[in-house]
Amino acid sequence: MNDRTTAPPVLDVRDITVRFAGLTALDTVSFTVVPGSVHAIIGPNGAGKSTCFNVLSGLYRPASGTVRLGDTELTRLAPHRIAALGVARTFQNIVTTEGTVADNLMLGRHILSRAGFTASALRLPSAVREQREHLARAREIAELVGLGPHFDSPVALLSYGDRKRVEFARALCLEPSVLLLDEPVAGMNAAERARTAETIRAVRAELGLSVVLVEHDMGLVMRLADEVTVLDFGRVIAHGTPDEVRRDPEVLRAYLGTEATGEDAA
Amino acid sequence: MSELLRRYRAWTVLLVVLLCALPFYLDAFWLRIGLFSMAAAVGAVGLGLLSGTAGQLSLGHAFFLAVGAYGYVWLAGEPGPGLPPAVAVVLAVLLAGAAGGLFSPVAGRVRGIYLGVATLALVFLGHHVLLTADSITGGFNGRSVPPLELGGFTFTASDPELTLLGVPFGAEERLWYLSLALFALTWFTARGLRRGRPGRALVALRDSETAAAVMGVHVARYRSAAFVVSSMYAGLAGVMLALAFRRVVPDYFSLALSVDYLAMIVIGGLGSVAGATAGAVFVTALPLLMTRYADQLPLVAAPGTTDGAVGPTEAARYLYGAAIVLILLFAPDGLHGLVRRTRARIHRRRSAPKDADPATETHPPASAVRAKEPTP
Amino acid sequence: MTTFLDNVLNGLALGSVYALVALGFVIIFKASGVINFAHGSLLLLGGYLTAVLHEDLGFAGALAVAVLATAAVAGLMDRFLLQVGGQDAHSAHVQTIVTIGVDIVILTDLSRRIGGDLLTLGDPWGDSVSGLGPITVADSRLAAIVVSTVVIAGVFALFRYTNWGLALRASAEDMEAAALMGVRLVRMRTLAWCLAGALAALAAVFLAAFPAPGLERTTGQIALKAFPAAILGGMASPPGALAGSLLIGLTEALVAGYQSELHVLGEGFGDVAPYAVMVLVLLVRPNGLFGAKGAARV
Repeated sequence: MNDRTTAPPVLDVRDITVRFAGLTALDTVSFTVVPGSVHAIIGPNGAGKSTCFNVLSGLYRPASGTVRLGDTELTRLAPHRIAALGVARTFQNIVTTEGTVADNLMLGRHILSRAGFTASALRLPSAVREQREHLARAREIAELVGLGPHFDSPVALLSYGDRKRVEFARALCLEPSVLLLDEPVAGMNAAERARTAETIRAVRAELGLSVVLVEHDMGLVMRLADEVTVLDFGRVIAHGTPDEVRRDPEVLRAYLGTEATGEDAA
Repeated sequence: MSELLRRYRAWTVLLVVLLCALPFYLDAFWLRIGLFSMAAAVGAVGLGLLSGTAGQLSLGHAFFLAVGAYGYVWLAGEPGPGLPPAVAVVLAVLLAGAAGGLFSPVAGRVRGIYLGVATLALVFLGHHVLLTADSITGGFNGRSVPPLELGGFTFTASDPELTLLGVPFGAEERLWYLSLALFALTWFTARGLRRGRPGRALVALRDSETAAAVMGVHVARYRSAAFVVSSMYAGLAGVMLALAFRRVVPDYFSLALSVDYLAMIVIGGLGSVAGATAGAVFVTALPLLMTRYADQLPLVAAPGTTDGAVGPTEAARYLYGAAIVLILLFAPDGLHGLVRRTRARIHRRRSAPKDADPATETHPPASAVRAKEPTP
Repeated sequence: MTTFLDNVLNGLALGSVYALVALGFVIIFKASGVINFAHGSLLLLGGYLTAVLHEDLGFAGALAVAVLATAAVAGLMDRFLLQVGGQDAHSAHVQTIVTIGVDIVILTDLSRRIGGDLLTLGDPWGDSVSGLGPITVADSRLAAIVVSTVVIAGVFALFRYTNWGLALRASAEDMEAAALMGVRLVRMRTLAWCLAGALAALAAVFLAAFPAPGLERTTGQIALKAFPAAILGGMASPPGALAGSLLIGLTEALVAGYQSELHVLGEGFGDVAPYAVMVLVLLVRPNGLFGAKGAARV
């Protein structure tokens, strides 16, 4: 459904405001994700990064503001419709479902396949063929992120790092044009972090998609991101290339100065 | 892998041959246990799809069994349109599905254990309708069930008279093969659903509604669809029960029946077709066997002796009520998981030097109605 | 007009008894996240104990013993069959199904003991009636309204003024935070179950009293009508459960009272009217009338 030869559409976030019971979680947040780029959203805990992702994937409805993907307005759409437009995401806390890695990745193929209840129940040839084709593609994606050997293992038996990778691969299985990664390396050791960074770089190059990244690991952000938006208390306080942001005094005060000077060296 | 598959196939073929041979060796009592068990298995597999796979608790299963049973009786009978019985079977199943569809605005939006409470309404309202709409249902005394007829072959004791290998083929023998075929169909379709795209979407919905939604699963539609499919299996089970009982009465389709079906899938292990079947056989056969052998069982009085003694039916209910509690406390994946773990252990012992596949050993339990994960 | 007042008063009496049951149900849900499908059996147990003990102990003594015993059974059930499963939301769902297993066992046993009998509870109201202006009411109904009101007020006072009430409200908001603040979850939960059991046993007396013919093995099923009441109230809200109970009671009484005008719905529709109301409400508002948030999000 998404023609891979063309660049992904622009993701344009304009003046998004989200309130919870009087508390303003996001306050007129705007940024634009350039097609094919890696766009990082950083900020201290509670800055509104995950809220922002929940708006982008349709789980929260903003009080005001718009999110456009190309010409399509996303803020009025249900999550499954947004997924169908090619926006895929991972979760900060791992959310896999019961079954094997293959089962989880095949869930990622849900919107790209169409076998319904009748076809699956009767195992019509079309459904069987479709399942086989998508399974082959899911296996390719598993290989791509380094899950090949675990393809038929139950997710519950995998290591933490591998389960994070399952989420990542599952999101890739949607063949998205925009990939939202919520703290993809949180809780990983140095080797796993480096490997995941490599994978993100590889899939971006290979699949030509836009990546929006929420991450605390400043080293990773600085290495991967083309552009960085910094949130603090629900507001955008800085925006620019990693180098520009790194030198921004406001950012240093709100964020880097307090916590990540050490990690920055990594 | 292919070696394993071949062995699996061999066992399946053996089992089918055995099941087909049984009517030549068993008397009507045992065959009737089989008929009720197979009917219950069909219904339990349906409930398993809803409660085990999709995580939606339902206490309304008895209602859909009733729709199937009464649907068939009315459609094929007099009063009623008097359709050919085979057509009536199909229409009764569709009718049960339609009834499930009518409830789907609730079933699609009410989640997990809350749906359990909402579906209580179906049982009580349904029972009321069965009692009062007596021009269709026959009221309190119910209706007799018109026999099934397929292309001139009637599923009764005669018409045509039939004796195979010296065994007279009465209603039980004939219905046995019909039930076996319908059960095989259920097994085939339910496994297809479970392992196909809808099954994965339903499991995702159960384990994490948010993850399912952002993966593109239309949450409300899939929930409703699971409910409709489960109603259709219940409808089919209702028809099979009606044919085996030869009479349908409203009081059979009570809340206790819904609870029985829930017991079947919990005891068997939620979310697996084989488990639901095992649970169905257990819950169905236990009271019948205990009734038959009451005089040989300690602590159980013969049926009919009232005044406070524990009758066989009650003893069976104590047993499986306790079984639900114990299984959920100690073996949440039910009989199915127990068998799987035992098999893994035997397998490991046999191939001791080699590493057993860890997957078969500690499979995560499939449990009903999971909690929603915290909001991301 | 008199019939109307008659029916309304009946409805209020019925509603106040349902409120006792529904309140217990909601307390359990708030404390443990469990929907107690064994609630009807607990109620039947309370009624049965009152019935078998009243000749020896007198009505008040029998009722006291029944209330305490039912509270104990509920508490023990929670402590030793449910809480061993854990405190998180997933276990709460499993525990809900465990209550169904417990229900089967208790109900089977009580049904066997009661058989086809109608048990009298020896309550002091008997079949006496009082004139109240233009209408005549059974004393048992007045007693139901008065006793329920007093007891429910007491329960609300417990919510508000005791440490237990505070712990209950805090843990319903955020279980982990409450535990960190020193709330003893295990004890709080068990006490909640005890209270709910006591309320159910008390309700049994009024459900079996005149004009009902007595305690039957199906009396527990009558208590299931408190489920719709709790659902209408949004499951976790005690005031919601009260409002739901009154709505259910009034509906049932009015439908039964105007039976002849509503004959198209079939004889005895009053008995199932609460369920019809529940389905209608859920069709429009899946979260109940006073909807708890989040019950059907996404």
